[in-house]
Amino acid sequence: MSNTLQVPSAVQGAPAPRAAGGPARKSLLTRSRPWLLLAPALAVLAVLMLWPLVRVFLFSLQDYGLREIVSGEPNWIGIANYGEIFTSPELYTVVLPNTVGFAVLAVAGTVALGTAVAVLMASLGLFWRTVVGSAIMIAWAMPAVTGTYVWIWIFDADRGIFNETLEALGLIDEPVNWFTNRYTFYAIVLLNVIHHGFPFVAITILAGLLGVPKEMLEAAEMDGAGAWRRFWRIIVPNLKQVFAVVIILSTIWDFKVFAQVYLMPGGSGSNREALNLGVWSYVESFGQNRYGFGSAIAVLLTLVLLAITVVYVRTMLKEEEL
Amino acid sequence: MNKRFLPIAALGLAAALGLTACSSGSGDGSGDGATNAEGQTLTVWIMEGTNPDSEAYFDEVGDAFTEKTGAKLDVEFVQWADAHDRFVTSIAGGTTPDVAETGTTWTAEFADAGALAPIGDYVDEAGLGDDLVEGLVTAGTYDDELYGMPWYAGVRSLVYRADIFEELGIEAPTTWDEIVAAGDKIKAAHPDMMPFAVPGDAEFGVYPWVWGAGGEVSTLEGDEWVSGMASPESQEGIGFYTGLATEHGFSSAGATTWKETDVLDNFAQGNIAMALMGSWTPAAIVEKNAEMEGKFAATPIPGKDGGIAPSVLGGSHLSMFETAENKDLAWAFIELMTTGEFAEKWGEQSGYFPGQTSLLDDAIASDDPLVQPFAQQMVEGGGTVPVTPTFGAVQAKKTTNTAMQAILSGQKTVEQALTDAAAEMDEIMNGN
Repeated sequence: MSNTLQVPSAVQGAPAPRAAGGPARKSLLTRSRPWLLLAPALAVLAVLMLWPLVRVFLFSLQDYGLREIVSGEPNWIGIANYGEIFTSPELYTVVLPNTVGFAVLAVAGTVALGTAVAVLMASLGLFWRTVVGSAIMIAWAMPAVTGTYVWIWIFDADRGIFNETLEALGLIDEPVNWFTNRYTFYAIVLLNVIHHGFPFVAITILAGLLGVPKEMLEAAEMDGAGAWRRFWRIIVPNLKQVFAVVIILSTIWDFKVFAQVYLMPGGSGSNREALNLGVWSYVESFGQNRYGFGSAIAVLLTLVLLAITVVYVRTMLKEEEL
Repeated sequence: MNKRFLPIAALGLAAALGLTACSSGSGDGSGDGATNAEGQTLTVWIMEGTNPDSEAYFDEVGDAFTEKTGAKLDVEFVQWADAHDRFVTSIAGGTTPDVAETGTTWTAEFADAGALAPIGDYVDEAGLGDDLVEGLVTAGTYDDELYGMPWYAGVRSLVYRADIFEELGIEAPTTWDEIVAAGDKIKAAHPDMMPFAVPGDAEFGVYPWVWGAGGEVSTLEGDEWVSGMASPESQEGIGFYTGLATEHGFSSAGATTWKETDVLDNFAQGNIAMALMGSWTPAAIVEKNAEMEGKFAATPIPGKDGGIAPSVLGGSHLSMFETAENKDLAWAFIELMTTGEFAEKWGEQSGYFPGQTSLLDDAIASDDPLVQPFAQQMVEGGGTVPVTPTFGAVQAKKTTNTAMQAILSGQKTVEQALTDAAAEMDEIMNGN
């Protein structure tokens, strides 16, 4: 990008209106002007975001612990941290299945419930829409830690309302600790995360729904399309971008879920079957002062999320072109 | 703007100026020693919450310190929860305080990193060597050098409901068989109660049974740590402890994932008849539920056939950091805090035991049923987990808790769970 150096003179030299108007031959100015305008923001981002990312990558190539922090000496070990991650049997039997499986279910659940609530709200009058909106906002506003403890109390083995109800109904004879089993453990996390995540989806999709032209829906109704068909054939295609944003953001959030697992009974490492990527990296690296290893996991997580986002955005754009 | 805010802003400014004035003096320590440190400031980090009235306590210490040395004392209170991170970042940035309270399991870790200054010579000079609680000295010693000055400690013992024991005519258990006999009686008379809580996520409740049966957690053999968690003795001890839940039904399904705080909450609510709890908990139990006052007592943890099973000493050291410019001054503060009047006062106010043996003797002579048994446990049955930074990694990975939870939930047998735990301990502690 050596062109950027010449930009200032180009700014003075080229007459702006003609450059902007020329359709075929774009002048240097036209091509570089957006970058020029973006430069201050990019410079700030580079300092605040790029440099930390570079540092994390550099740490991931070292055996970096408390001793290295004190001495300030680097301790390069090449890609040994990455080697350890990929040869760890726990990664394939527990950590990845838990993380990916959970993310898929959580994203599907959050988006489905959020959309359903959005459709409900769109069909309500202003008063009831405000009431429902405020109610779901409370679920959203609740801090993750508080919400998690409420779910823990509900499913508490000895005094939780869930076990008491099951016992009263005669479905179980004695209290069951739902936190010791991998699948029931994650079922509770799933409830927690969906409950906490769906309001954002609902509000975002509601905003999109209200922008869908009424005429189009009325026309479809006249042609005899039922509610189900109108939803899939008109609303969904119209809201493709909104769904894309919501799905990508949910995927990123649900991949990184930490507090909702770590705070659950047994979730902080004593139930090895319940480890996910976030808790595993914390227990294996920061708990043991192995900052290099933790950085390597962070780099991999970033790459995975980046890949998912790129693939998703590309498919969306491709469909658009067709 | 608003006139009401002016005085507040002025106060803030004054406070800021005051702070600057305090810190401006430090840094010109020229090794004059501790007695003539006029104009210097000693920065100290203390954990928040141990002593409910620590502000007043440190005002008093500060006055005494200034009188003795001429220097000012600047105490900053740090939350336990983020203390470790704060130490690490300040070590990285070279901004550590002169003296800080360090949890007993951290001292070796920070010493290993080269952040702490050895204090063995000072202790010898002061003639304190024989007057310090042994378990705390062991925990503060790394590579044959003392880095942590014993300050205060607590210990876990068997806490039981004295009212229920009296009602059923049971004596405090002194052997394992008596624990089972007492549990059976309580279970029959009070089916709603948990006779003996066996929490799955509380490792310090596990080691007394290992040691009480003659086992070891991990010992250094030559250059190599060898875990004793899978030995027949350890299996017998942990088998008995988990058996209280799995065979005798003294515990509950929920306790499989309990932490120590859950044991405390449930004991305070009156759901538990016996449990291993710390010497600092009686005050908290009464605070949570005033009705419990006078209804419970403590006794040392019984060994298998009698005697006292060792229990882990938990507590804090005062450590001097390498960044301290005037080490004599730092030591003067440490000595002031950990011996004599102020150490005794801290113990009284916080409910912990002092780290000086001569002060501890007073506690043993006490006839308080919630002080004497703990003091006896501490002196006659105080234990330490392996003193090496790598054991911190074992704790972070929750090796012991994982084994406990696997046994209690029926996922693994005692033998299988402990074999896995021992293998993992060896792997982490020998640095592979």
